[in-house]
Amino acid sequence: MNALPGKLNLSEWDDRYEQLRAGGLSEPAYGGPLRRHVIRERDFRLEQLRFDNSPAALRLWNFLLTENERLHQARARGCQIVGTMKDLGTVPVMAYSLPGVRAFYPDGAWWTPCLMECSDRLLQQAEAMGIDASFCPVRAMLPAFLNGEHFPRPDLLVCSTGAVCDDFSAIAQRLEHLGQPVLWWEMPRRRQPVAGEISCGLPGQLVAPEIQVACVRSELQRVGQALGELARRNLDDVLLAEGIRAANRVRRLLQTLRTTVYTAPAAPLPALEMLVVEMLAIHFCSDREEALAVLEGLLAEAQSRVRQGRFVIEPEAARIFWVNPVADLRAMNLLEDFGGRICGSDFMFAHALDLIPEDLPPLEALARTALADPMVGPTSDRAARIIRECQAGRAEAVVISRIPGASHCAREGEIICGLVREKMGIPAIELEIPPVCDALLPALGSRLQALMETVRARRTR
Amino acid sequence: MICAGIDAGSRAIKVVLFDSDHSQVLSSGLADQGVAQERLAVELFEKLLREAGVERSQIAGIVATGYGRNAIRFADTTITEITCHARGVHHLAPDARTVIEIGGQDSKVIVLEAGGRVRDFAMNDRCAAGTGRFLEMVASRLDLDWEKLAELGRQSKTPALISNTCVVFAETEIIGLLAEGKPLPDVVAGVQNAIATRVSALAGRMISPPVYFTGGVALQSGMVRALEEVLTNPVRVAPQPQFTGALGAALLAGQRARSVAL
Repeated sequence: MNALPGKLNLSEWDDRYEQLRAGGLSEPAYGGPLRRHVIRERDFRLEQLRFDNSPAALRLWNFLLTENERLHQARARGCQIVGTMKDLGTVPVMAYSLPGVRAFYPDGAWWTPCLMECSDRLLQQAEAMGIDASFCPVRAMLPAFLNGEHFPRPDLLVCSTGAVCDDFSAIAQRLEHLGQPVLWWEMPRRRQPVAGEISCGLPGQLVAPEIQVACVRSELQRVGQALGELARRNLDDVLLAEGIRAANRVRRLLQTLRTTVYTAPAAPLPALEMLVVEMLAIHFCSDREEALAVLEGLLAEAQSRVRQGRFVIEPEAARIFWVNPVADLRAMNLLEDFGGRICGSDFMFAHALDLIPEDLPPLEALARTALADPMVGPTSDRAARIIRECQAGRAEAVVISRIPGASHCAREGEIICGLVREKMGIPAIELEIPPVCDALLPALGSRLQALMETVRARRTR
Repeated sequence: MICAGIDAGSRAIKVVLFDSDHSQVLSSGLADQGVAQERLAVELFEKLLREAGVERSQIAGIVATGYGRNAIRFADTTITEITCHARGVHHLAPDARTVIEIGGQDSKVIVLEAGGRVRDFAMNDRCAAGTGRFLEMVASRLDLDWEKLAELGRQSKTPALISNTCVVFAETEIIGLLAEGKPLPDVVAGVQNAIATRVSALAGRMISPPVYFTGGVALQSGMVRALEEVLTNPVRVAPQPQFTGALGAALLAGQRARSVAL
């Protein structure tokens, strides 16, 4: 049941789903109408969003919204569950190298208040625990750990510390004090090698002193040992190398998808779906093999649309490079409502989109990739990559969405804006987007509308 | 060709009727904002038409801007305050390279290219401390009108230090300062400095001279002084600063009407 590319609200998706089913839609076990997530899980926010109308997008959303269910099922089957926090992409590669182990990001619960429009009361419960709105919405994971209503309690919780944001660290420490054991591993703040130090190349055109890579390698070795003990199997180089190759299959597909979507004359997939799909690079949504299938479906859809010249956003749309994930998914729809499209993104885990070197010893390769995390180095490094990708994507403006309370981006936005203006001469704005941005919609809309007006005026130069 | 610009701000509605053939403002007016925004705008618009002796049918185009622009359904289109203020200030002062607008609800820094196009902009979106709302709160708390507030600010010799960047907490601080016997002019000047500091943080390194100050708050001379100090740049007040947004909207309405006619 083919339809022209477009965006549908939830009610329209109800009808579309029935049509697709009548037309013989083939779905995985977690498939079904999107509406059921509102009814069963109270994901009320879905009623405010508009989604891509393809079966591939339906599969993506169902995959995303059934992650907790998948984790509970895995636990019931005897799988070991690993919670991993803050490393954004590295520890899951190690965990999935071991048969019978699943990894997930409990801090991903920061989107739960948005999806459930705060009906979960996670933020209110976090406040009652002394973690108020001056902290990042990641604080939602704290009560989620305790009430067990979302994800299962992990058998092992691994959290990086050191060069991570302060409020995240505070929340994770509170969790530990509440009785949840945490395996901490240290991430040094990445720096340039000084005279006399051995320099080491990292993915993303970065360098670091060899001594820092060695430090991360030894920390990851400790994490690997703990994972092996959990799985009762030694996480050796053979397993790790295979895990890296499998992770790279996901990353390659994502790279191709991003290139297809971001460089197309108009957007073949909406910004919202691109935000969700990019997240697969870090967590595989708790099923690495299925993540591949979801990505293949979306890539085939995007390529087919590009071949046919059929898009979801008109070609005149302003080409926007988007920095940071948004706390309220609705913001991505809003960008398109005001005449923008995404031509590139940095959702804080650019390093997880880079291929992990396969020609190095596995732990060395993982250590170098982990150290390339944009969040553990100077903002100027992150800005340099953003500028390179803005140039590649012919960005006409940059939007930096701030996460209220997140300490790692308190000044970062201003620095990136300044460098983008200086090096590229294009407008750059910061937007603060809380988990439910309804009350701010007029103000957010004004800023986006003003940005689009500015971009269009610049075109007529 | 006569066009109209309507700036439906959070504090007031401003309307400008502009004759683009003779490049002159035919009439301009201001009314307090209220719940029935569109009705207030219609009343003001019709009053200005009568004053200028212009028929409604002679109006070639209407552009609405400002916070409440989407409520002005009789406008042909809406354009944001960023674009309208930039256009209005450029018309009045073609040399302007930076426009600072402090409105009742938000503040903006707009950087212009030589031809008047917007190069970049920044808007505050965190709190009321960098906006005219802060001054309104102070005026209300001190039971002063807008003009008296401006006058008091000018009399200050040693402005008070307002350390809080939150309007609600700053109010407590102001009460404390007054209780300590701090002279009223110094408290007012302290508030003006606090607003200016917030605006300078918003501007970051974007400021490029000449800097023009617009919006109703620009009528507060103490604010001009405060901005000049924190920006370390001379700050010029746009002529009739409360109307630059509406003027820009009227100019853009003319531009739009001409392009539609072609």
